[in-house]
Amino acid sequence: MKGKKLKTGEIENALNRFLNDEQHLVLGFKKDESDVSHQIFKDSLDHYSLLNPVFGANAALYLRRLFSKGSQVMLMLRPCEIRAYIELHKLTQIEREDVIAVSIDCPGTVSSKEKKDDVPTEAGQLAEYFKSSDSMRWACSVCSEKRGVVGDAGIRIDNVGNYWVIPYTDKGEILLSLVQGEPEDVPPELLVGETKRTDKFQVDMATFKKDFEKCIMCMNCRDMCPVCYCIDCVFHGDEYIPKGDALFNKIFRTGSTKMPRGKELFHLIRMYHVSQTCVGCGACEEACPQGIPLTKYFKGVSERLQSIFSYMSGRSFDETIPYVTFIEDELKDATD
Amino acid sequence: MAEETKNKNPEIVGFACSFCTFKASEMAGSLRLKYPEGVKLIQVPCSSRVDPAFVIKAIFEGADGVFVAGCHPGDCHFIKGNYYTRRKIVALKEMFDAFSMKDKLRLFWVSAAEARRFIDKVTTFYNDIKEKKNEGEKA
Repeated sequence: MKGKKLKTGEIENALNRFLNDEQHLVLGFKKDESDVSHQIFKDSLDHYSLLNPVFGANAALYLRRLFSKGSQVMLMLRPCEIRAYIELHKLTQIEREDVIAVSIDCPGTVSSKEKKDDVPTEAGQLAEYFKSSDSMRWACSVCSEKRGVVGDAGIRIDNVGNYWVIPYTDKGEILLSLVQGEPEDVPPELLVGETKRTDKFQVDMATFKKDFEKCIMCMNCRDMCPVCYCIDCVFHGDEYIPKGDALFNKIFRTGSTKMPRGKELFHLIRMYHVSQTCVGCGACEEACPQGIPLTKYFKGVSERLQSIFSYMSGRSFDETIPYVTFIEDELKDATD
Repeated sequence: MAEETKNKNPEIVGFACSFCTFKASEMAGSLRLKYPEGVKLIQVPCSSRVDPAFVIKAIFEGADGVFVAGCHPGDCHFIKGNYYTRRKIVALKEMFDAFSMKDKLRLFWVSAAEARRFIDKVTTFYNDIKEKKNEGEKA
């Protein structure tokens, strides 16, 4: 694997060179005094940070319905965000033409809910920090793909703390050409390695109901999910979860009902609808005001459902989402 | 499930493809064959019209079991609808398995001529659900 080693400050220089063109944008992270957050840079970088140790939202959310031609946007994001972008591209929500997606190795993140000021933004220090502290988000601690191996190019970190730019497609070469230096062989040992998959997810309905008892049906999880993209969601209107008159009619027909009703219905339907595209980023859990362990369920179910079709969300641009394709000769034991 | 079902006899919702399974059920009627009263058929233009959300909705509105039935693979009126159904329902079954309620969902292939097979499949499913329900009540 060939790539270019980044000297200190070289990535900022390269991105500034990219931003010299008026039509070019960079979506990355900005480091303020107290906060690291998403920022779209125009003209020049300002307090740029390559890594963001705090997870608030998945940035693929901001890219939905991006169809304009002529501009170029460089995404400098975490692997889970790039994978969500790839899924949205497959779902025809983003045109790939004007996007250069660069995934950056992710040592893990802390939740924005329990943010601490002492979290470092430098890769080596961050990896050390997570060794000594257990504040890593649950979604990150079970994440099986933290490596920056998706998208058009990747930024990998080696054990010594050097950053490497590695192109995967022709578009990735654009970033590589902006970086000064000669291509070298990337060391085989990297900071963020492959992680093994965890056990098969299994619960019973009683545990599920108990976990979701606190749900207030604010639907923040749906709104913040990067891959839950339908404009006309089935939960708009009164069809699935009746409101007002429709609800009263229903209660007169069926009897007393605990409110808010339909939370299991809502979560199970959403779980199925995102099952093949869920990247397990945990943005839903981040958005939940009640602290429901949503990632455990969504990630667990989606991993099981994806494994039937040996599919992994966001792994490559070429794989088709299993529900929109089929093989004639498969699933022989489907019927009862 | 959300609302307690009062009667002891199970209610089963079936989504039946209008070209095969629904025709088979009509044929069963004209042959004077009986299937349990608790089975309610919903006619759909093709089995792939069944969004798994319908199945989950049916179960949470109080159905004890749901089946999706369509033409045999390769015989779909719309050429390839039931291949998609197969993928979707297999995935849904896997999800139900994760929540330990796999026995609530079944997928059948019944062609328009197989009235007896339809009766057989539906009755077996009904009896299995009924047995489970009675066991649950005793325990």
